[in-house]
Formats: sequence, structure tokens, C-alpha cells
Amino acid sequence: MLIVLCAHFLVAILAPILFARLGRSAFYVLAVVPGSSFIWLITQYEKVYSETLPGPALDVDWVPALGLHLSFRMDQLSWLLCLLVLGVGSLVLAYCARYFKSGDAGLHGFGAQLLAFAGAMFGLVTADNLILLYVFWELTTVLSYLLIGYARTRIAARRAALQALIVTTFGGLAMLVGLIMLGESAGTYSLSSIMAKAPELVAATGGARTVLDVGIALILVGAVTKSALIPFHFWLPGAMAAPTPVSAYLHAAAMVKAGIYLIARLAPGFSQTSYWQLMIVVLGLGTMLLGGWRALRQHDLKLILAYGTVSQLGFLALVVGLGSREAAMAGLALVLAHGLFKACLFLVVGIIDHQSGTRDIRILSGVFKSAPKLGVVAFIGAASMAGLPPLAGFIAKEGIFQAFLASAAYGPAGPVIGWTVMVGMVAGSVLTFAYSARFLWGGFGQKSRGMAIAFKPVGWLFLGAPAVLAVLTLLYGLLPEIVERWIKPYSAQFPAYDPNGLHLLLWHGFTPALGLSALVVVFGLALFFWRKKLEILQDKIPPVIDFERGYRQAIVALDMVAIWVTGRTQRGSLFFYLSVILGTAIAAVVAVLLLTEQTWPADIYLLDMESPFQAIAGVVIVIGAIAAARANKRFTAVLMISVTGYGLALLFALQGAPDLALTQMLVETIILVAFVLGMRSLPPSMLQRGAGGHRILRMVLGVAFGTTMVVVAIVAMGARIHDPVSLSLPKLAYEGGGGLNVVNVTLVDIRAWDTFGEISVLAIAATGVASLIFVRGRGQRLPRAETVETGSIGKLPTETFQATIHLAKRFAASRSNPWLVAGRTLAPERRSIIIEVVTRLLFHSMIVISIYLLLAGHNGTGGGFAGGLVAGLALTIRYLAGGRFELAEATRITAGTLLGLGLAMAALTAITPLFFGGYIFQSAILSFDLPIFGQVKFVTSTFFDIGVYLVVVGLVIDVLRSLGSEIDQHEEDGIGGMELIEDDEPLEVGQ
Amino acid sequence: MNVAHLAPLAVVLPFLGAALAFVLIKHPRAQRRVSLGTLTITLALEAWVLASVWTTGPVAVKLGGWEPPFGIVMVVDQFSSLLLVISSAVSLAVLAYATGQGAADGEEGGPVSIFHPTYLILVAGVSNAFLAGDLFNLYVGFEILLTASYVLMTLGGTGSRIRAGITYVVVSVVSSLLFLIAIAMVYGATGTVTLADLALKLGELDPGTQNVLHILLLVAFGIKAAVFPLSFWLPDSYPTAPAPVTAVFAGLLTKVGVYAIIRTETLLFPSERFNTLLLVVALLTMIVGILGAVAQTDIKRMLSFTLVSHIGYMIFGVGLASVLGLAATIFYVIHHITIQTSLFMVAGLVERRGGNSSIARLGGLAKLSPILAVLYFIPAMNLSGIPPFSGFLGKLGLLQAGVADGSAMAYVLVVGAVVASLLTLLVMARVWNRVFWRSTFDAENPDPVLLATAPDASGVRTMRALRSSKHVDATEGRFSGENEIPILPNMMLYSTAGLVVLGLAMTVFAGPLFDLSQHAAAGMLDRMPYIEAVLGAGAGTP
Repeated sequence: MLIVLCAHFLVAILAPILFARLGRSAFYVLAVVPGSSFIWLITQYEKVYSETLPGPALDVDWVPALGLHLSFRMDQLSWLLCLLVLGVGSLVLAYCARYFKSGDAGLHGFGAQLLAFAGAMFGLVTADNLILLYVFWELTTVLSYLLIGYARTRIAARRAALQALIVTTFGGLAMLVGLIMLGESAGTYSLSSIMAKAPELVAATGGARTVLDVGIALILVGAVTKSALIPFHFWLPGAMAAPTPVSAYLHAAAMVKAGIYLIARLAPGFSQTSYWQLMIVVLGLGTMLLGGWRALRQHDLKLILAYGTVSQLGFLALVVGLGSREAAMAGLALVLAHGLFKACLFLVVGIIDHQSGTRDIRILSGVFKSAPKLGVVAFIGAASMAGLPPLAGFIAKEGIFQAFLASAAYGPAGPVIGWTVMVGMVAGSVLTFAYSARFLWGGFGQKSRGMAIAFKPVGWLFLGAPAVLAVLTLLYGLLPEIVERWIKPYSAQFPAYDPNGLHLLLWHGFTPALGLSALVVVFGLALFFWRKKLEILQDKIPPVIDFERGYRQAIVALDMVAIWVTGRTQRGSLFFYLSVILGTAIAAVVAVLLLTEQTWPADIYLLDMESPFQAIAGVVIVIGAIAAARANKRFTAVLMISVTGYGLALLFALQGAPDLALTQMLVETIILVAFVLGMRSLPPSMLQRGAGGHRILRMVLGVAFGTTMVVVAIVAMGARIHDPVSLSLPKLAYEGGGGLNVVNVTLVDIRAWDTFGEISVLAIAATGVASLIFVRGRGQRLPRAETVETGSIGKLPTETFQATIHLAKRFAASRSNPWLVAGRTLAPERRSIIIEVVTRLLFHSMIVISIYLLLAGHNGTGGGFAGGLVAGLALTIRYLAGGRFELAEATRITAGTLLGLGLAMAALTAITPLFFGGYIFQSAILSFDLPIFGQVKFVTSTFFDIGVYLVVVGLVIDVLRSLGSEIDQHEEDGIGGMELIEDDEPLEVGQ
Repeated sequence: MNVAHLAPLAVVLPFLGAALAFVLIKHPRAQRRVSLGTLTITLALEAWVLASVWTTGPVAVKLGGWEPPFGIVMVVDQFSSLLLVISSAVSLAVLAYATGQGAADGEEGGPVSIFHPTYLILVAGVSNAFLAGDLFNLYVGFEILLTASYVLMTLGGTGSRIRAGITYVVVSVVSSLLFLIAIAMVYGATGTVTLADLALKLGELDPGTQNVLHILLLVAFGIKAAVFPLSFWLPDSYPTAPAPVTAVFAGLLTKVGVYAIIRTETLLFPSERFNTLLLVVALLTMIVGILGAVAQTDIKRMLSFTLVSHIGYMIFGVGLASVLGLAATIFYVIHHITIQTSLFMVAGLVERRGGNSSIARLGGLAKLSPILAVLYFIPAMNLSGIPPFSGFLGKLGLLQAGVADGSAMAYVLVVGAVVASLLTLLVMARVWNRVFWRSTFDAENPDPVLLATAPDASGVRTMRALRSSKHVDATEGRFSGENEIPILPNMMLYSTAGLVVLGLAMTVFAGPLFDLSQHAAAGMLDRMPYIEAVLGAGAGTP
């Protein structure tokens, strides 16, 4: 069984190779797969029908947690459908070898898909797990999408494929939910267990029963879409855009039968659920009549068959879904008969199309004369479809009439519904007869005015597949008792309505059913005879509801809704997004504050009277913030932001956190420098801040957000009932970290991992800034000052700055490098002797201080971060005093290397302890004696701090290089400012 | 000490690689080798770690040997190690893809030389976030990956990228600010930031305070995870970045937000107070997101919307708070990381092959490049939840959990999930219809690249464009040389194919993966294994 399944998919994967070797004859090779599987199927007959032998089955776990097992079981129903799936599949594939030309594009894909489809169908009808069944169900949908879209360059084909995909997947998803509801209420997804449990499930009451009812109804929705019942039938005629073999296989024999199969599968257990009969009867009967009616007005042979199929599918659903023993017998008989004759007829149409180039019955004429053998085959098929003896269609239809007569007389639905259905069914059969006649006449008849159309002779190989199907149709009609034996075990699951039982026979005697058949023939002939008048009548009756248009309108409406919603939400404005985010944050927090009960701390005070400077710092911060928000000039805004930063540093200092205060001051300073350097190439004024309304909204949002957070802070702080971990840190820092400076020990030891992450943030921020500025390549060049002419850098344009230059030249007499390495490179008007001297004096002391801070940090104020910042400031001063060549001379190493070394050092410190059996970042305290210094205690975490130091210095150099030197050069080269951005937000500089 | 204790190396190794890449900035070839090598080793290590915790409970790694709640802990459990492996695998594939692209286009010496260190740090940040057992360290993880993402987003510094980058950076900074405030509040209320410690101490707080802290964290993580209505920024910023960058962002960054939400909901605030809210948000995210996708005409933008929409699925499972729901979410997360990334990679290939990513301007790709067609079709169907692919299995789990929940709200979500799934299929199939099926000549105003390279029977490798052809989009700097270059370099195809195959492997091995997800989910809902792993046995019982 597994072999059959795998063979289909494996050969499908290999198909492209076969097609490359063999051309279109590869289809024969493909046909062998379902063909030999068919033979295997026949050999399984014994097992499947024996009461003692176990049937072929397979059970492999796939995703047990979801109740999804690869479990297959071949029972009689599966076996019957497999006959169709594999038999017709094999014939259709063989037929393809003549239908297509070797040069046709995309043939390998087509063949592979068709074969895979056969495999999927086989899986579908043998799956014994609800979810597995759904897997194959959707596989057939997707493959059908690909197959319908074979003529991919034609928009009609693409559209029809998409429509079929969406409609059937819509039903499929409804069905999935239904299957899950069924599975969850049964507690298992095994199909056979569920069927065994069915009586128990149906007997349930209340909520459980509702879940079952809705679940089954949703499953039926899936069946209805797949089998093209109203209101979803329209995809099937559309799908006729597919090549004819696809129509013959998918849309006659196999895929559309999946829905019927599902109905047949569930009917024994669930035909008595609340919505079953309603859906089946209304949709089945409606589809049968509508399809037949529409078939009578088609001029395309294929569309006649397509609407005929729609009609027959309605018929099948109605019969199979009724739930009586007789109906089940007759229904399955019709499933087989329909598969045979409809596939046969489609293949005939394919031949007509292939040989004459048209399928239009208004053009076709005299085909029978040209191809009598084809005509005979077609006649057998059409006669079977019309229900004429001694063919399969007659046997089935006769049985159905009998079954429904019994149902009307004895069925639980009562005579009124029973007879209504009976009348509808007979009317449908009349239509079927009429369109069968129309098909034959249209395809083969000699039209009165038409000339016989040119028709190429049909080869035997081409005719073979439909001929075999026609012969089978005839055999079936002559030997119906064999078919009856196949169906009997299945139908025995249902209650019998007819006390006499039902047998599939060619001759029952003069029964009411025979009378109905005769009636059908008479009325059918009449309809065919008056076809002209009927067409006129049809044109007068407008279609009540055009479901296809409904689908199109739904898609258009969907697109409109989508555009409307997206237009409302995707405004493309940062202001809008931020407003939504902040608004959501405020609304959510305020709602929670208001809706849930809060306990407020008892003693809230706004001012700490013991520390009046706190209030001053607070006022400074507030003023800075307001001024920054109100500023129109970039420079003012940045300056005011720094004011808030320095205010914060003051707060830290007041709270007894000198380390934080120091770091905060240094960071503020560096950021200020970076901002000022960067802003040189931006226009001084910020762009207009938008309309007044927005301004107010901004203010409201800002104030509301701030206020909300203050309230949250009060609530949060007031709720504290545990001691914070920080109380234990000083002791830990000294005992475990070997340092007195708890902040530093926390940074480089206790929470070194955080610092580790943050220095990488620094490194990346530095590169990020650089990458934006160095558009022409990373700053890897290390220019030398020797290459530059004295006084050539940064010359002011003489005409505008005459006075300045004059003044500068008088005071800046020095043209050499007395104080700085590259000071001479600057134009005289840029130099300031005072700054150069001060820089000369400051630089080295600052570097020494920075190293001191780095090393002293463990016990006193400082640390790698602060130290690095001081070193960075020292370099900044040199750059400001001596220009970009001074910076280059001061740092003969690229920022990237420095960043890399720093990161590497930190990372190595992290992993070294692993080699000594410790944890990552575990530090060790090394004590040793040094001459002069005495005993020295050295903590390994210092190495990490050095890494931090290097990264910070690298960051500053990168910022100076990019925002300083590179922009200098841009200006000198006349590249001008950076591209202006519409928004007024300054670029973020890291952190 | 077992293998799990080496998990922090998943962060340290990429850092080391980045450090090396910084130093090797002038040697692009060596840089490439370093970063590919680093990620390969990291992936192997993570796979080893995953294998070691496959059947065991969480393992806490005390960094620096400091005892929690004073030092930082990393927690390696099934969930985090599974995510580590998947995210590293995806990152590796994207890196190979980017390398292929860079090598083909000869970007040596360009601004892209910082790509490698930045990318490695991004990966390290993602891994750090997954491993963090400490709320502040989680923030640090976020900062690392966000800062790296700012740089990657604006790579090349073109106008559109900077514009999109500003939206992205500002929104991200605001979300980080919110997160930071939330941490401050949490610390203010409890005096600790160790997650396991918080799990115990938060529960003892006044319920009102708990709610406030809970919602603050949810809003902060919601921005990163891009849930409605905090998601609008995403489709405006992701698609403009270079293809590999968009791919890795789409796969990983939002998932880190989802991860944080999952931890918040299971570990920190196990009470189901906001579950209805989460379900509503999940529904809106799914529906509004997919409607956005329906409205798009550009593949990359469209994919950004499906990304947002499918975040809704994950929140759905979290909101159900059942073992099955959470397990399905975990499975869906790893599925979505893989598939969404591969689709963006394919979109990048489509863009190379067709000259742009506007659906209207493309056509005939199935004929021009059958390999590309297969590479699109499989993940597209996978994302659309077509069986038997992993997207279907994840969705199936969510639907089962929803039906099992049985509440009216859960059923509404089930319907919403199904609708989102159908619409995803619709947009995916529309792309297929137009970009792949229809004839090249039906494309409106096609890019010269699409037309210039006529289809060739011998396959992809021969499809080359003359670098010197002047009409080719020069702003991207793609075709600026003399030699012929392959339009679809093998390295890019192979890496994309690798991810597609990974997606298929998730389908085949869905059984064990789902079992693992279920164990992980059960453990997370139980909470005690996690807490005891960090704070020692008996920590939960007073």
C-alpha cells in the first residue's frame, strides 16, 4: 500500500528526467504506475471483501501530538473508489501520450503533477485519519490549481486556476475546522474509530451535540465546494480551461468525487445530524437542476459536459447522502457509472478538439461520418449518461428511482419531502437526457446548413482510452450483479427502507422505476426536439443569482476593504506611528490603573527637604527638556538636551553615586561633541513641525505619557515588599569580586555579561555612524601629515571671510609644528595658538588620568568606561585643535582594529575561565609581590575592563573620523551636506 | 557541568568572530571565511546543546559563577535551545546568501565590509535574548540586536533606506525606552531582575501593581513583535533594506519579541488576566495584517504584511494558554522563522532576476528560471498553510487548541485564523499567477534585466547579464564592472534551497519537533522546573 503511494510521488519527482529522455512517450511510463497499482488493487479483492482476513492497512506515526498518523485502511468503499482513481488515472495518462505534442512546453511538470495527483487521490480515499484525509484533500486542490493553469500564459487559465484554488480551499478550510470539531468531540482522529463511535456521538445532547452538528455541517461545506455543488459550482466550468485529460480525470472521475466520497464515508454514522439532510437535499437537488438547465445552453462541448458533471454531482450527493441501504447501493453504482462515462466523453471531446481544432457545436458538423468509431464510443458514453439500457447509467438510475420511491413511501423524511425530491430528480434526469442528446448531436451530427468539418483520422492508440471506458460501461450494464457484490458490504451499514431490498439488475420487470425511466426518455426527447424554443426561453429567464459574479464581487470588495484598511493604518508617517504606539501605551496603562484596584503608597512626598539641591537639579532638567522641545534651531535643541543630561549627572552626584555622575558627564560631553560635529552639514533650523493640531497632539501625548509613567512609578515603588538585591551587592563585590567600588565590580564582574553586550552595542554604533558617513568606503586609510602642504587644510573662501583671514594671519604667525604633530597642515585662519598650547599640555595628562581611572576603578571611582571616555576626550581635543591630520597622526591604528581588539579581549576574558573549569566570566583574584609596590592584588576582571576601555576609545575615534574628519573632507571637496530627510528627528548616535 | 553550560558560547563565539572581522576589515575574503566559520561552529555547538536538553529540564548557567539573583543567569531549556538552533541555521543560510551576493557583485572594499561584524553581533544579540534569564540582560540582548539592525538597515546609505531607517530606529528606540521604563518599574516593585526570582516575587505583589507591570511589558514587547496596533512601522521599514538583511530581520527580530511575550505570559505573569486581550490583539493582527498584504503590489512589501499577519497566529496560541496552544505557538515560531526568511530570500532572487520586486513589472519567471519557481512555490504553499507542510501542522495545532478551548472567543479566533490562511493563499497564488506564470511580455513596463536575458535551455547558470550594460539600475551598484556575472549566483540559490529544505525537514520531523514543543510548553506552564533550575530545588515552596 505504501509502495503504491510512494511510487506515485517518487515517479512524479523523476518525471522530468523521463520526459527529457522519452518526450511525450514518457506518459506511457507514467501510466504504468497507476496501471500496475490497479492490478495490485484487483489482487487485494479477496482481502478487502473477506470477513476474516484483515484488509490492507498501514499505520505509521507522524505527529502523534496532533493526532496525525499516516494510517491507511482499504475497505470496500475505498476499494471501489480506487478502481476509478487508478483505472481512469492510468488510461488518462496513456491518452496524454497522444494528446500532447512532444514539443509542448512544460510537459514534464504537467506529467509529474498528474501522476502525483493520482497518488494524492489514492491517499485521500484510503486515509483512515481525518487530518491525513485533509492533507491529501488539499494536495489535490493545489495540484488541480497547477494543472488547470497548464496554459499559464493565457489569462483565462490563470484566473480559472486561481478561482478553483480559492473556492475549494475556502471549503477545505471550513472542512478542516469541521474535522477538528469532529475529532475533538470524538477524542480521536482515526476515521474508523470515529465511525464506530458515531451512534454514541449522535446520541449526545446539548453543547456537545451542537459542536458535532456544526462540525459535520462544516465538513459538508468542504464536500460541497470540492464536488462543485451550488453555490460553489461555478469553479468547475471555469476549470475547463485545463487540458482535456485533466478535465476527464480531475473534473469527472476523481477529484470532484472526493466530496461525494466524503459524504459516502460519513453518511453511515452522521446522516442523522441536524443539518445533514437539509444541506444534502437542497444543495444536491438544486445543483442537479441548475447544472442540467445550464448544460442545455452551452455551445462548447466541454462546457456541456462540465455543466452536466455539475448536475450529476448534485445528483450523486443527493443519493449518496440520503442514508438508506437502497440509496447507498444505487448511489455508489452511479459513482462508478458516472466515472466511466464522463471520463470517456471528456476524452472523446479531447480527440474532437485535437483533430478538428474546435469544440464549438455550431461549427462541428459531420464528425460521425469522418470518425465513426469515435462516434460509437461517444454514443455509448452519452447513452449511459442519459440512462439508456443496457448501459451502466441505466442500471444506476433505475436503482436510484427505486430507492427514492421506497424512501418517499417509507423514509423518515415523510412523503411530502420524499415526493418533492422524487419529482425534482426525475426533472433532473430529463435534463440529463436532453443534454446528452445535445452533446451527441452537437458533436457528431450533420448540421443542416453546416459543411462537414475537416477531421484528421483518429489513431487507435489515441482512441484506446475512451474505447476501453466505453467497453467497461457496456460490460457493467450487462453484468450489474458483479457491481452489486462490490457495493453490498458498504450499503449494508444503512437501514433498509424498502422491504423488498434493491438489486442492481438490467431487467426488474414492469416496475414504477421503469415507468419513470420511460417518462424521462419521452420528456428528454421532447426537450431535445424543441431545443430552439428552449434556447429562446432560456435567454428570456435571467439567471437568478450569478454565483460566479458573486465570487468576483467578493474578491473586488476584499481588495477595496484591504486598501481602505491599509490606507488607514499604514500612513507612512513616523508621527502617526509614534502617536499610535504612545497612545496605546498610555491607554493600556491608564485603563489598567483605572480598572483594577490599586493600593497607593501612604506617604508620597514630592520634595526631599533634606536635599534641596535635588529640587534644583529637577528644575534644571525640566527647563532643559521644555526648551529642547521648543527649540527651532538644531544647535539649541542639542544643547538643551545636554542640559537635561548634566542635570541628571547632578542628581546622581547628589544621591551619592560619583561613578554614575562621572560617566554621565563624560558621555554627555562626548555626545555633545558628536552632535555639534555632525550638525555642521545639516541646515541650522529644523523643518516646520507640522500643523497646529499636531503640535497640540504632540504636547498632549508627551505630557500624558510622562504623567502616566510617574503614576506607574509611584505605584510600583509603593508596592515593594521585598529587599532589593542591591543591598547585598557591596558585600559580594568585596568578598567575591575583590573590589571596593561596587559599581565597577558590578559592571565588570557581577554583571559583566551585560557590559559585554553593551560594548558590542558601542562598537556597532560606531561602525554604524561611520558606515553612513563613509559612503565611498570604510575609513581604513590612515592618511599621513607629510603628504599635505602646510596651511592647505580648511582654507576659508577668501572673498567672504576676508577680514577673518586677515586677522588670523596676523596673530597665528606659526607655520610649523611647534606644539602639535600636524598643526601645520591647517590653514592659518583655522589655527589658534592658545588651543594648541593647551592641547599640548592637556593631552598626555588626560591619557595618564584615563589609565589611572581604568586601573583604579576596581576600588575607587573610575573604570574602563570612564577611562576610555577621558582618553576619547583627549583625542577630541587634539582633533579640534589640529584638524583631521592631527587626529590621524595621533591614532596610527584604525578604529575597527581597536574595536576588534577590545571585543576580542573581552570575549577571551569571558571564555578563559572555561579552560580552568570555571564559569564563563568567572574572575580570579591574583595576589603577588612586586618589588617597590609590595603586595599587589590583581583581579582578572581588569582584563575585561581593558577591553571596555579599548572599545570606548575605538568608538570615539570612529565618531571623530566620520563626523569630524570625513565631513571636513566632504566640505572641502564640495560634496555638501547629507541628503535631507523630511523628518525633523536628528539621527540617533548609538546607545 | 554539562554541555548546556557552554550555551553562552552561542553569544561569545559570534562576538569573537565579529572582533576578528573588525580587525580583518581590509580583507573581505578572510572576513567572509571568519563569519561563515564562526556561525557554523556556533550552530554545531547549539545543536549539541539542544540534544543535551532534549529530554531534560532547564539548566541555569551562572555567568561569572555569581549566584542568582545577584549575578546574571542564562537559562537553557528546550524552548530557548530550539530557537537558538533554528535562528542560527537561518542566520547561517542568510549569511551564505549575502556572501554569494557580495561575491557576485564584487562589493569588496565597499561600505559593505562592515556587514560581517555587524551581522555576527546581530546573531549574538538574538542568541543572547533567547538565553537571557535576567530581565535586564534580555534588554541588553535587545539592544545588541537592535543596534546591529540599525546599521544593517541603513547599509549603503541610500535615501530610501535612511528614510525607512529613521522610522525604524525611532520606533525601536521608543520601544526600548518603554522596556527600560518597565524594567525600572519592575525592579522598583520587586528589587530584582532575575526572571526566576521575579516569577516568585511578582506573584506576591498587590494584584493591581502586577497588572500595571504586566501591561507595560506587553506593550514594550508588542512593538518588537509587531502586533496590532503596534505593527504599522514594520512594513514601512523592512522592505527597503538589502534583501539578505530583510530576510534575517523578518525571520528573527519579531520572533524575539514573541519570545519575550511568551516568557512574560508563562513565567512572569502566569495568571490569565490578559488572555482575552491577547486573543483580540491576535485576531486584529492576523486580519489587518493580511488585508495589508492583499493591498500590496510589491512582493517584499507584501511579504512584510504576511509577516505581521502570522505573528497573530503565535499570539493566538499564547492567549489560549493551554499546553497544546503554546506548543503549537512554539512550533509555529520555528516554522515561521524558516519560511518567512526563505520567502524573503526568494524575493531577493526574484528582484535580481526581474530587476525589481513590483508584481506588475514581472512575468514569466517560471519559464525563465524553473529553479526559482520551485524555490518560491514550496515555501509559499508552506506559509499559506497548505498540507503537508509545517505551516499547516502549526496551524492545525492552533486550531485544535482553539476548538479544544471551546470558548466563543476561541472560536472567533479559529475563524480568523482560517480567514487569514485563505487570504495568505490568495496573495501567494496571485504572485505565482503573475510573476511566474504569465508571459514575460505581459509584464507592465518590465525592467531591462527581465527582458535582456533571454531564457536559455541550459538553465540558470548561463543566465548572465553584462555588467557593462548601462541601462541596468546602477544605484544599487550591482552591475559595475566589466566581466559577466551570474544573475543568480549559485551560492544564493543553494542557501535559499537549503532553507527551503530545512522547512521541509520540519514537516518530515514534525513528530519529534512537536513532541519537544509540547514538553517545552508543559514545562513552561508548570514554571517550577525553570524556577528551581535557577534558584535551586524547593525555591518555589516557602
